[in-house]
Amino acid sequence: MKHKHSISLIINGDPVEAIVKDNLTLLDFLRDQLFLTGTKKGCEEGECGACTVLLDGKPVNSCCTLAVECDGHDIVTVEGIAKNGQLHPIQRQFIDKWAMQCGYCTPGMIMSAKALLDVNPHPTELEIREAIEGNLCRCTGYAKIVEAIQAAAAEMNWEEE
Amino acid sequence: MHKDCDKHYFKKPEFYRLTGENNYVRIDAEDKVTGHGQYVGDIMFPDMLTGRMVRSPYARARIISIDTSEAEKVPGVKCILTAKDFEWKAKVGNGEFAAEFADKEVLCSEIVRQVGDDVAAVAAVDEETAQIAADLIKVEYEVLPGVFDPFEAMEDDAPEVNWEGKGLNNIGMQSVMKAGTDIDEEFNNAAYVQHREYSTHRMVHAAMEPHGAVATYRNGTYTIWMSTQMAYVDQFWYARCLGVPENHVRVIKPLVGGGFGGKLDSYSFGLCAAKMAELTGRPVRMILTREEVFQSTRHRHPIYMKIDTAFGADGKLLAKKCYHVLDGGPYGGSGVASCAQATLWANFPYKMNSVDFLARRVYTNNPVAGAMRGYTACQVHFAHDLNMQYAADQMGIDPVEFRKISAADPGYVAPAGLAITSCAYKETLDTAAKEIGWYEKKGKMKKGEGIGFAGTGFVSGTGFAVLEAPNQSSACVTLRMNKRGMATLYIGSHDIGQGSDTVMTAIVAEELGLPMDMVKTFMSDTFLTPWDSGSYGSRVTFLAGNAARRAAVDAKRQLFEVIAPMWGVMPQTLECLDGKVISKEKAELQMSIGDAMFKYMTVKGGDELVGIGSYYHRTDNSQYNGVNTTNYAPAYSFSTGAAHLTVDEETGVLDIDEFVFAHDCGRALNRRAVEGQLEGSIGMGLGYAVYEHTVTKEGKILNPNFRDYRLPTALDMPKMRTFYDFTPDEEGPLGAKEAGEGSAAPVAPAIANAVNMATGIYFTELPLDPEHIWRAMRGLKDDRNSK
Amino acid sequence: MVLPQFEYLAPTTIGEACNLLLELGSSAKVMAGATDLIPPMRDKAFTAEYLIDIKKIPGLDYLEYDEKEGLKIGALTTLRTIETSPLVKEKNPATAHAAKVIASTQIRAKGTMAGNICNASPSCDSGPNLLAQGAKILVQGPNKDRVIAIEDFFLGVKKTSLEPGEIVTGIVIPPLAENEAAAYIKHAVRKAMDLAIIGVAVKIKVENGICTDAKIALGAVATTPIRAPKAEEALIGKELTDDVIIKASEEAMNSCNPISDIRASAEYRKDMIRVFTKRAIKQAMESL
Repeated sequence: MKHKHSISLIINGDPVEAIVKDNLTLLDFLRDQLFLTGTKKGCEEGECGACTVLLDGKPVNSCCTLAVECDGHDIVTVEGIAKNGQLHPIQRQFIDKWAMQCGYCTPGMIMSAKALLDVNPHPTELEIREAIEGNLCRCTGYAKIVEAIQAAAAEMNWEEE
Repeated sequence: MHKDCDKHYFKKPEFYRLTGENNYVRIDAEDKVTGHGQYVGDIMFPDMLTGRMVRSPYARARIISIDTSEAEKVPGVKCILTAKDFEWKAKVGNGEFAAEFADKEVLCSEIVRQVGDDVAAVAAVDEETAQIAADLIKVEYEVLPGVFDPFEAMEDDAPEVNWEGKGLNNIGMQSVMKAGTDIDEEFNNAAYVQHREYSTHRMVHAAMEPHGAVATYRNGTYTIWMSTQMAYVDQFWYARCLGVPENHVRVIKPLVGGGFGGKLDSYSFGLCAAKMAELTGRPVRMILTREEVFQSTRHRHPIYMKIDTAFGADGKLLAKKCYHVLDGGPYGGSGVASCAQATLWANFPYKMNSVDFLARRVYTNNPVAGAMRGYTACQVHFAHDLNMQYAADQMGIDPVEFRKISAADPGYVAPAGLAITSCAYKETLDTAAKEIGWYEKKGKMKKGEGIGFAGTGFVSGTGFAVLEAPNQSSACVTLRMNKRGMATLYIGSHDIGQGSDTVMTAIVAEELGLPMDMVKTFMSDTFLTPWDSGSYGSRVTFLAGNAARRAAVDAKRQLFEVIAPMWGVMPQTLECLDGKVISKEKAELQMSIGDAMFKYMTVKGGDELVGIGSYYHRTDNSQYNGVNTTNYAPAYSFSTGAAHLTVDEETGVLDIDEFVFAHDCGRALNRRAVEGQLEGSIGMGLGYAVYEHTVTKEGKILNPNFRDYRLPTALDMPKMRTFYDFTPDEEGPLGAKEAGEGSAAPVAPAIANAVNMATGIYFTELPLDPEHIWRAMRGLKDDRNSK
Repeated sequence: MVLPQFEYLAPTTIGEACNLLLELGSSAKVMAGATDLIPPMRDKAFTAEYLIDIKKIPGLDYLEYDEKEGLKIGALTTLRTIETSPLVKEKNPATAHAAKVIASTQIRAKGTMAGNICNASPSCDSGPNLLAQGAKILVQGPNKDRVIAIEDFFLGVKKTSLEPGEIVTGIVIPPLAENEAAAYIKHAVRKAMDLAIIGVAVKIKVENGICTDAKIALGAVATTPIRAPKAEEALIGKELTDDVIIKASEEAMNSCNPISDIRASAEYRKDMIRVFTKRAIKQAMESL
């Protein structure tokens, strides 16, 4: 079938099978076909980070990723990080620290933070800022976001011990 | 105002359980961190169509013909609109009080006036089909000469950009503010006078959420979910252009991903979505691309400013004249008010005897400029504060002391009619100077190092323009209480990310003595919630906050008037606290609010309790009638920004060591919310000062993307410290004033003043990007802002 | 905006990929991370009828170091892998840095160094570093494999010396000897998410206090990354005093002829080449 592919992948832990057009981005696939609208569309050029999801654990811009590329891979979106009705510590700390205003960058920001903390449980402030360098926020000046990620790291380390 | 809702009657004494201890979170926070919250682009219907605009590639052209035949043949295309589909030549404007200023056709019928102007619209089964069809619509144009410089546009032989045939010389709006003593005499008697000229560049709001609308048409009613800062104003213009009464147009504001003034105009794309929903019978979604947001929504006005100032021998500011020319683009919208306010800001935050201000907003074929975070405050304060710094240096007076000499005080009434209530401007100056380490570092800094200050003032709770007609400017709140004592709040105000829905909820919970989760809030739906003219001019906390408090007080009054007789006490001796109605005099008299409400409804024959509140600022709209001496707002906020930085003299790169921000917002209703506003102001102000510049060529933006239009990233932000514990405002809701809009203004001038000190060069334009500083330090010309 | 239509092909062997590329000609583009393909396709800056995704081809995702040959980077090795690799940080920190300064964390998590050079943008950050370090580009074609010296790789804006059907499979960067050091500095307005106004890479060899070899490469000042031979000559055979370094920086400045665009003017670019050549030489000296 020209211009269409059958793909199977894991999204937020669940197997998903779908038929996608070649030119469909992962972002539009998530939003328009799976109705996972937590992943936001800000620029569609890989320059704002609002569409950040984890592809095999790594943060990527879903607007610059084709859905068909994800065949056989593992995707996690902001909808997939709370477990059993419990928010992820990063989500909890974003709430507690008022680390969002309009909230449009928040899902992408949280996914970038998760990608960082999954591999670096004790990040420095600079490492946190580097981890979110590709996530633009127009409202906050980033200070509360950095603070929330620091607090989440502390909370997750506490839970570990 | 209800006389019984007088602010001193039943008003909670100054101890605040919720807002005092700050122990509450945003009511929309969980929705935002889980991705469940719905912004307009997240609203979907099973049979929804996708819309797309067809836009002009030319800055000024005559439409010869539009051929839609090829596009119509594309399978899946359901509707194509052109100008004839709307009320003929119906125009969109901004404030409904100024309907006569409306100057933008929904879809252009004869002339396109900017690159990206609205020419046609398509709805199709999916985005791809809509795009293909939009590309197939053939518009034949006769390209006309455009004008891209506001001074050239005012020449007699310039092309007429709008209101063709009216002979306006493209001066779409002119504002005069003249008041006080004889200004010539003040200048003649002055010890020191100076003339300075400044200019600012074109910036965009760049809210992270692109503009969008989703519309349905059912049962003769249009419902439009809109990313907007003013749903009720949209309702007004949409009804007009669709040719139906307002009660056939329901506008709902879902979560909005930032506004900053960019969503303060009614746009054609929303009207097209509504019209196409009607014509197809299917919901239509229309979300703009980032490039469309850049090219076809709104910008911050570039302004050219000439300032003459007179000072006494002691450094006291005596009088000021200024002439501001705003490059407006081809349409008015929120730019009309921006022009009027471009004279207002020149007053702040200083006392002076005499003012003579003139602002002209000129039509050009550049992209349209409108209100942006402070209307025009960021531009005007940039110029006027640099002007103060220059005078301080010329007169050899310490910059902090110099600003304090003329600083506004509490109770000051300016010649222009501005009546200051609380004012901690001097305290913000002292705080900023102390915290940035000015007195230790002064005179001891190395080459290339500098500290800069900037002081600004802003309206808090403007209702400007139309205040003789409160229904056009007020904020209204309705509060319902049921038999369990649960409160449901209906607010018209627009939370566009700042957190105002949370603050309104907290104010009501505070006043009713209820936990936050016992107050459920419905917001910004023109069929459900009461009128509110929108999120602009720092209205929300002050106006809607006071309205919310009055609604709660009104509810309490009614409740107490039923309960008090049962207890044999006077109503005003009761209070709501910790979920109970209590007597302030007899400790044994108390019952839960649930029980009290049950009793209330029993006594009232089953009626639920409804409290109503509204608030508006009483003044007049004289600034539109040439008089211009009026009190623009019920209160004013004041700020000082201070930047400490080093300039790399080889590259022009700034290394900002620290930015200190002191903001007089009265009493903070939530400390984290205020800090977030101030930190965000520094971020956007830094972008304005250094990073962001919209480059245009003949009206076309050459960098309509976040690659070359550079918002500061997390790595670009300096260390920030914010201070905001100053005197509460008597009139403010629980003592609060504005935070977040006026606070954007001192950032760029503080950075510029620091760069001046570091380089010894008096910069007069923005942005201070590395190359601009590098050029200035080498005496090279910079023609980047030329048209 | 929906991307223009194209056909996605995902060969599983390099031979299959080369044959497809040969057969489909210029209407096909090779895709690895896709981060440099999707935005321009969306902007209609270029069109492709076929995208050949090479990510399903095994054996192209590697990062190894060999004392003799140096650092070997596979065509599918992401910039993020290169930047965060302790091995690269230890053996060739300039390369780790040149990877790190590109775009954003998200782009680097997908984007590859091979893709960065194949895209052949004048401002690409990998180019100057590879040029200064004398990298070799491993290429497979439909009929034969070959190695292209980096000097011969870039031909112009978006043009490389790859022939029809050829695919880059890896990059080899020679090892840095004890007395050799390299540095790359990118000059941009923002600290992340930005394109270089200019970039300067240097590699120097210092023996007994005398510079015995030097390579200087400049980015964003010509249609391709370029070497600055006169600047190199100004260093070789000399003790790297401030005066010598300043002279070399001026030679570097005089050897380029950049254009003015919305990011910077030609004269600013030229002067920044002077400033950052000086700084890059000093930075390299510090790591000796």
